[in-house]
Amino acid sequence: MADRPRDPQHEIEAADRFDRYLDALVEDRRPSPEDITGTDEARMAGTAAELAGATAARDAPDPAFVEQLRRRMRQADAGIASLRERPPFSPDATVGTTVPAVRRIRLSRRALLQGGIGAAAGLAAGALGMAALRGPTAPTGGGLNGGSVPLVPGEGFWQAVTTTADLPAGSAVRFSTAAFDGYVVNDGGEVRALSSVCTHMGCTLQYRPNWHDLRCPCHGASFDLHGELANGRDRWGESGGYAGDAQAYPIALPALAKPKVKVADGTVYVWTAQV
Amino acid sequence: MASRPDRPPATPVPDGPVRGRFEEIYDAHVVPIYRYIYARVGNRPDAEDLTAQVFLRAVEALDTTRDDAQIVSWLYRVSQNAIADHWRAFYRLPLVAADQVAPGWEPADSAEPMATTADEPEADLPARSRVTALLARLPENYRRVLELRFIERLSVAETAEQMGISRGNAKVLQYRALRRAALLEGSADG
Repeated sequence: MADRPRDPQHEIEAADRFDRYLDALVEDRRPSPEDITGTDEARMAGTAAELAGATAARDAPDPAFVEQLRRRMRQADAGIASLRERPPFSPDATVGTTVPAVRRIRLSRRALLQGGIGAAAGLAAGALGMAALRGPTAPTGGGLNGGSVPLVPGEGFWQAVTTTADLPAGSAVRFSTAAFDGYVVNDGGEVRALSSVCTHMGCTLQYRPNWHDLRCPCHGASFDLHGELANGRDRWGESGGYAGDAQAYPIALPALAKPKVKVADGTVYVWTAQV
Repeated sequence: MASRPDRPPATPVPDGPVRGRFEEIYDAHVVPIYRYIYARVGNRPDAEDLTAQVFLRAVEALDTTRDDAQIVSWLYRVSQNAIADHWRAFYRLPLVAADQVAPGWEPADSAEPMATTADEPEADLPARSRVTALLARLPENYRRVLELRFIERLSVAETAEQMGISRGNAKVLQYRALRRAALLEGSADG
């Protein structure tokens, strides 16, 4: 990167845009990669993050976060344990069959996510309970695959997550319930709720307002606002590419889970569960 | 969640040795791991997300029968990978030296990236001293603007007022200061 004077007008505009990124850091918010242009600025962003991080790194994490993550770990561990006790591919296993109790089954994150247990990793407790309750014969594939299967079973309730005033067309608001995390999006007037958990490895998706998609920061999958993979190879063939990306995402991924959503009296609710 | 007669009761969370061991590891390491990550991403939401990734990967893949030193080493290595992935994929470039570590979250003994055991017990200390050293190498006005913004955590308007310059100038100054600082960091890393 060259440390040289630039075109003054260009520099003023760049400094102004970059300041939005810095403001987020200084205020301890999540910065948007949209405010970063090019390799030089990405490196500057890294340096800024270190500067911001060094001064606050003594702070302990939010106790609520620590407890929430503890619950997610327990649920994930319980999910793996329940698979260990009831192998998913032999539903007729005799009751009472002894299964080695200490050997941990190794499952890929993808297998977990696609089998519904991944809910434990990302969507947390409710959905996991569903997968465990239904046992091996239930169509767990729908759990993360579409909107028809409820994300959380049983004792659900509507939780207010934002207001319509805060959700203008083209915007998205990230929310967190006890049972799962997601976005509510306003896609040209239609409000939808989507899981914020990538179905690849469970990373948290980022909303990109310029592309109207949910982008995975880990490996670059983009999901459209219906929850379908937007930059996969299949669509690449149909439409000749994806505007928000330079190259196709190499593998097919299940669609994002879609919690039920409703709008009433200017408030946006999602259907969630106690955990 | 409450059970209802028409459904089997919810599977209780087991209280066995596996969970106990994970919680032990979690309790011992969640704070230092969070701080380690925070020092490298600089904001709470990203630090929380990456911390969650690390511990959920631990549930999935960490062999809890290993000794404490190996578990600590595993946690920091996975943290480095998560941070590297975060920067690389979010901003589409390799920013962190850990990016040569192969995915799969298994300790690769041959690949020993930036963190050493010295980095582990008090992970926030090296980050702070690195930042102090970096600031010391900058020209006065560059150092000042970054200190006001990031150490004092002042707004651009407050920073501009402190320095007696316009807000526009403060933005340009911090932009140039970060460009210089990133350049220095790059050369320091080799």
